[in-house]
Amino acid sequence: MWPLLVFIAAVMVVVAAQIVLSHFLGQRHRERATGEPYESGIVSEGSARLRFSATFYLVAMLFVIFDLEAVYIFSWVISFRELGWSGYFKIFVFIAILLASLVYLWRIGALEAGPPKRRLREAEVK
Amino acid sequence: MLDLLWLIPALPLAGFLVLLFAGEKLGKSGVAWVGAGSVGISALIAGLLKWTFLTSPPEGHHFTQALWTWLDVGAFKPEIALYLDPLSLVMTLVVTGVGFLIHLYSVGYMHDDEDYSRFFACMNLFVFAMLILVLADNLLLLYVGWEGVGLCSYLLIGFWYKDPANCKAAQKAFIVTRVGDTAMALGFFLLVTQLGTLQVQDLLERAATRWEPGSGMALATALLLLGGAVGKSGQLPLQTWLPDAMAGPTPVSALIHAATMVTAGVYLIARTYVIYTLAPAAMAAVAVVGALTLLIAGLAAFAQSDIKRVLAYSTISQIGYMFLALGVGAWSAAMFHFMTHAFFKALLFLAAGSVIYALHHEQNIFKMGGIRKQLPLTYRTFLIGASSLAAIPFITSGFYSKDAILYQAFTSEHGHFLLWLAGALGALMTSAYTFRMVFIAFFGEPKTHVHHKPGWVMNFPLLALAFLSTVGGFIELPHFMGHAQFFADFMAPSFAHAAGHAAEAHHGAGLEIGLMVVAMALGLGGIAAAYVLFLAKPEIIEEKMKSEGNRKLHAFLFSGLGFDKLYDTLFVNPYCWIARVNKRDIVDLGYSFLAAVGMLVHFLLGLTVTGRVRWYAAGIAAGCLILMSVMVFT
Amino acid sequence: MTEAQFVALSPLILVGLAALVVMLAASFKRSNGLALGLTLAGFAASLVSLAWAAKVAPVQVTPLILIDRLALFYLGLVFLTGAAVALLGHGYFEKRAGYRDEFYMLLLMATLGAGVLVATTHFAALFIGLELLTISLYALVGYTRTEPRSLEAGLKYLVLATVSTSFLLFGVALLYAELGTMEFGKMVDLIRQGGHRETLVNGAIALVGIGIGFKLALVPLHMWTPDVYEGAPAPVTAFVATVSKGAMTAVLLRLYLLVGGAIPDSVMTLLSVIAILSMFVGNLLALLQDNVKRILAYSSIAHLGYLLVAFIAGGNFAPEAVTYYLIAYMATSLGTFGMVSVISGREREAEELRDYAGLFWRRPFEAGVFAAMLMSLAGIPLTAGFIGKFYLLAAGVDMGAWVLLGSVVINSALGLFYYLRIVASMYAAETSAKPGAAAREVALLGSATLAALALCLIWLGVFPAGLITLIRSAVLGV
Repeated sequence: MWPLLVFIAAVMVVVAAQIVLSHFLGQRHRERATGEPYESGIVSEGSARLRFSATFYLVAMLFVIFDLEAVYIFSWVISFRELGWSGYFKIFVFIAILLASLVYLWRIGALEAGPPKRRLREAEVK
Repeated sequence: MLDLLWLIPALPLAGFLVLLFAGEKLGKSGVAWVGAGSVGISALIAGLLKWTFLTSPPEGHHFTQALWTWLDVGAFKPEIALYLDPLSLVMTLVVTGVGFLIHLYSVGYMHDDEDYSRFFACMNLFVFAMLILVLADNLLLLYVGWEGVGLCSYLLIGFWYKDPANCKAAQKAFIVTRVGDTAMALGFFLLVTQLGTLQVQDLLERAATRWEPGSGMALATALLLLGGAVGKSGQLPLQTWLPDAMAGPTPVSALIHAATMVTAGVYLIARTYVIYTLAPAAMAAVAVVGALTLLIAGLAAFAQSDIKRVLAYSTISQIGYMFLALGVGAWSAAMFHFMTHAFFKALLFLAAGSVIYALHHEQNIFKMGGIRKQLPLTYRTFLIGASSLAAIPFITSGFYSKDAILYQAFTSEHGHFLLWLAGALGALMTSAYTFRMVFIAFFGEPKTHVHHKPGWVMNFPLLALAFLSTVGGFIELPHFMGHAQFFADFMAPSFAHAAGHAAEAHHGAGLEIGLMVVAMALGLGGIAAAYVLFLAKPEIIEEKMKSEGNRKLHAFLFSGLGFDKLYDTLFVNPYCWIARVNKRDIVDLGYSFLAAVGMLVHFLLGLTVTGRVRWYAAGIAAGCLILMSVMVFT
Repeated sequence: MTEAQFVALSPLILVGLAALVVMLAASFKRSNGLALGLTLAGFAASLVSLAWAAKVAPVQVTPLILIDRLALFYLGLVFLTGAAVALLGHGYFEKRAGYRDEFYMLLLMATLGAGVLVATTHFAALFIGLELLTISLYALVGYTRTEPRSLEAGLKYLVLATVSTSFLLFGVALLYAELGTMEFGKMVDLIRQGGHRETLVNGAIALVGIGIGFKLALVPLHMWTPDVYEGAPAPVTAFVATVSKGAMTAVLLRLYLLVGGAIPDSVMTLLSVIAILSMFVGNLLALLQDNVKRILAYSSIAHLGYLLVAFIAGGNFAPEAVTYYLIAYMATSLGTFGMVSVISGREREAEELRDYAGLFWRRPFEAGVFAAMLMSLAGIPLTAGFIGKFYLLAAGVDMGAWVLLGSVVINSALGLFYYLRIVASMYAAETSAKPGAAAREVALLGSATLAALALCLIWLGVFPAGLITLIRSAVLGV
């Protein structure tokens, strides 16, 4: 227990020392962009409250889903020999279904990153 | 051949449906073809079945055709099946045969009526319901038919619904028979709960084996069924509706209120005869009801001036004979009289209808007079019918059937001298009032001009029925006249259980001839009396009518012995009084209270419907808590 | 996998395949008619393969799924209902803009989930089936994305169904922890043998019950029903009311048959209370409701209460009574919600009571069919509903469960009131119905489906014997 307490205390001391020291030793000035967030020394453009296209989440979601399916394929691969042809056939069906859904996603335009023009045109047939 | 059975009720039903949905589009001749044709084909099939029964009878002399099992849950298994045995076959033949002739007659009689298709639709429905009643294999179906004919009777009595009097008559018929129906339904319930089956034949089997002769249960059911029978058949004390039922068109009176429906009570008792044989007291009650009714109705018939009301009272009286026969155990004699009565009473009604038609809806016999010469065919057929009703010896069917009843009323072990006496007196009255009607309406001076003469569609049924009324009796002759018992032999399988009970004690031909001579003398005496009083010397009556007492007597007889008045004071008026007093129904308050409680709870429960997901989720959680605590802590 | 197993599983495989085919077809050619055709073909193939599978049944396919006669019977029921919903949906979505093909795809997936449920003998498969069904339903309930209420309903269903499913999952986990198996049969055996922690197992059963009760919308888990039923597109509502409840009932029935009716009295009492509450709450809430879809939603709560009565009071009759009642209920619910979808117009659904005012004079055929459906729901003789209720009462009288019977009778009267309210308004003189509420154009397929359903209801009411025989052979085969 002791060493842990000493360690915590040391951390506290170091952090406090840094803040206090820089407060007294550091220069201080107030310019136009001083209070603003920055990156690489460049003044930022616009607001951080962007409206992301829903496609963004869609792609993220698709990734998660397909990524997860890969787990099954891995587990099949590991016991490839034990499962034999039956296993091969099963994973074949599994991948075929995945492939079919991929085709579907591609065709409805879920994979297109741009503004969903094509999709809309297709959907609003009537 | 027997498999055609289902067609017999199905055809009139089909006719009814066609007329109901397409009646307006068919045109009059189309309606006539569908309406009369469907019944006609049924009649043909019924004839075929009769032939089959005569030539190659089915095993056990009965035939069951299962059509439909509704459902089969536990012990409850209502089946729709038709049951054909000699009893139901005779009924079927009469219903379809006479029914067809009356339909044919109606084609002419109703021709100018604007509701032509409605008339035939109702008539077809009636024939269907009556056939269902007759052919029913179980009580449920029988009840359906029973109520169905009641409904059609109601619809057809009130056929000319624009006259409120007709509607009142229809209501009266419906309500009064309803009293009897209630008793009958109770009887059915008793049978079903006690014997545990709906099948009529099973019921009879079980009743015969489980109930002791003279047991209280048999007596109770027999009396309750008798209640239904007297209601439908217009017997004492529920006879009051039948004369009023004459408000309907004449073919309706002929078919429903003379030939077929009103004899349903006779059929019911004959069908359940086993129960009656187990309850001698109930049989005695049947006989007494019959005897009293035939006398009372006979008396009332004397005072009537409306030709149809005379016939109505005579119908009540003749059914009284059938009940008398049933009551003394003369089952097949009752059915025999039913059959001949159907012939000659339908004939009388139709002939009367022809007169009414010719005289432009004149029904008062005192305004007719002398139509003998103007409508010779109608007169002759009416005379044949009247002779049969009055039981003119040897040449009429009524003679044979009535004689059989009178003979058995005297000789049967259930018979009694008094019953015979009532029957014999009734015979005297019957012939007297019948020929009173004949003499007043057809003889003497013409008082109303004949407008139009009936055509062949109306005359043919008259001729056919006249033929049947004459020869219909020859299939059952008294013992000393060759002892032909075709009818009784044919019916025997239907009354197999009663064989021991109704075995006719042979009293020798002497007694039989003696009884017959007495009955014949009374019948002919009645005609003679009618001749003297109403044709030769009408002054006698006029003289008698001058005294106050006799006029009151006439009024009393005219009103059907005051039963209507009695019932008005006893039941109708108190009931109306209660209804008036209890205008805001007290019982209703309870229901209103329940409804108010329902609404209140509805609004309270409505508070839980907030539309908020968290509330719903909380509901699930609460439910879970309750469920868990019950499951874990008990 | 042996050949027999493959054959036995073929009805489920074919439905899954149909979903796949519809999906692929949709990616190349969008067509309402084509998608419907493929869907129906899929259902038809599955139904045909049922006969094929019946020859090898019963077959245990992995520990998860058992294809026996009960499963086959219920599969047939579920597939037929699914096909009817597809037919109703065709006309409904034809009138509306937006994607249509995905409806069929989701429908097939949901039906597949229901199919897995009715054939399952294992909690893992139960969960898979349930999720397949429920997740498809989330999308289906919110299918008309442009309608805020539909979206709202979808979200509500999502949240609440997830809550209830987690209860179920927790219960299953506890059971597994205590008994070490998830197979129904083994579980029942182990519980019967004893030697486990009663409290834990009972609590777990209660949790599983929550999951099942939610799907069946029994009080107090019923609150989502009216909102979701109201918001969802009418054909989807028909599906939620029929297939998802029917499949869950099949699960219950299977468990009931496994337990062999040996249910402790305390549980029976609990179930009785739930049944009585469901009947009363459902019917009382429907009493003065003016929204037809909500009326029907409440009435479905009450009907599930009746169904529960059949379970409790059924005794030896129970499987038969439950199944018959369920079929009558499914056919009528399909019909009533189908009617709502058929007479709905382009702009909005015909869901207000006043949309039905005078319907008889405008569209006598639909009004007549609708009236027949409502009569069946009310249990008027010569309809399937009557036979169902009669079964219930007969079973109840046999067991002498008078309290339950009394509730059923009172509730039948309550139900009659609001069913007749709808009927009466249909025959009333026409009032000023909102424009667009009732469609002018007739969805031919939908109307034909409804007519077939109405005929079927009356047929079942008049000639129930055939179906009863079929049910007996199905439930006795277990």
